[in-house]
Amino acid sequence: MSATALWAVIAGMAIANFAIRFPSLAILSRAELPGWLRRWLSFIPVSAMATLVVGGVLRPDGRWLPPLTSPYLWASLITGLVYWRFRSFLGATLAGVIAFVALRAALG
Amino acid sequence: MPTTEPQQLACPSRSASFARGIKLGLPIFLGYVPVGAAFGVVARSLGFTPFQAIVCSATALAGAGQLIALQLIGSGASVLAVVATTAVVNLRYVLFGAAMSPHVTGVRLPAQAFLAFTLTDETFAVNIDDHRRSLANAWSMTGVGTIAWMGWVLGTAVGASAAGAIGDPTRFGVQFAMPAMFTALLVAQAEDRRHVVAGLAAAAIAVALMLLLPDPWYLIAAPMIAATVATVVTR
Repeated sequence: MSATALWAVIAGMAIANFAIRFPSLAILSRAELPGWLRRWLSFIPVSAMATLVVGGVLRPDGRWLPPLTSPYLWASLITGLVYWRFRSFLGATLAGVIAFVALRAALG
Repeated sequence: MPTTEPQQLACPSRSASFARGIKLGLPIFLGYVPVGAAFGVVARSLGFTPFQAIVCSATALAGAGQLIALQLIGSGASVLAVVATTAVVNLRYVLFGAAMSPHVTGVRLPAQAFLAFTLTDETFAVNIDDHRRSLANAWSMTGVGTIAWMGWVLGTAVGASAAGAIGDPTRFGVQFAMPAMFTALLVAQAEDRRHVVAGLAAAAIAVALMLLLPDPWYLIAAPMIAATVATVVTR
C-alpha cells in the first residue's frame, strides 16, 4: 500500500471509530430510557466479554483450535480462576500470559 | 437536613477521582503496551513509518480493529475494505456507548466525546465495574481512558521504533494479553446469577454464530441476542 493510501486508512479508521463510539453514548445519555432497555443494556458488558473470550480463545487468528490441547483455553481458565480468587486484574492478566507461554511450550 | 448532603460528602475532588481512574486503568496500560508494541512491529513490516503507526494508534485506539486492518493490508485489500472491516469489528462500541449512557447523563459534551474516544473493551468493563460499586464519576473515567490511551500509544511507539530489535513479539505470549484481559473482565462482570446466565448464553451463542455468520458479525450479534435472552429469562 502506498503512503497516501496508508494515510487514507489511518484517517478513515480514526473517523469511523469515533463515529461508532460517540453518538450512542451522547444521544442516549440525554434520553429517558425505558426500564426494559436499561435492563437489556445492563447485560451487554458480561455478554460482550463472554463473546470476546470465546472468539479469542477458541479461534485465535481465525483458526479453530482443538480445545483439549489449546494453550489459549487452559491459560484462559487459569486467568479466570486467578481473578476469581484474588480479584486482581493485573495479577490475573500476568498469570494468564505466563501460563500461556508455559502451556504453549508444554503442549507444543 | 437537605437530601443532597450525603452526595456532596461522598463526592471526592476532581484530582483524587482522576488519580483513582489512573490507578484503576494501570493494568490496562500494562496490557496495552505489549499489544501496542506488537501492532507497531507488524505495522512497520507492512510499510507504515513509525510516525504513521503512532498516529494510527493515537487517533483510532481500535485494538483488535487495528490488528485486523494490518492483516487486510497485508493481503492487499483496498482502503475502503480495510476501513469498512475495522468498523464492523468495532460495531460493538455502539452497544458499549449505549450501555455507558446512563452513567454519563450529567457529563458535558466535550468530556463525553473524550470518554467515547477512549471507549475500549477494557476501559468499558473497568468503568462499568466501578459504577456497580458506585465509585465511578466523569473524572475517574477520564483517568481510566487517559492511561489506557497512553499505554496503547506508548506500546505502538516502542514497537514501531524498535521493530528490528524486538523481532517476533509472539514469542513473549503477547497474543494472549487481550484474551487474558477479556477473561479477567468477564469474571469481574459475572457478579450475580442473572449475569452468569447472560455470560453463558453469550458464549454458546457466540460459538454458534462463529460457525454460521461471516466474520466478524458474531461480535455484535452474540451480545445482543444474549442480552435479549437474559432480559426475558431473568424477568
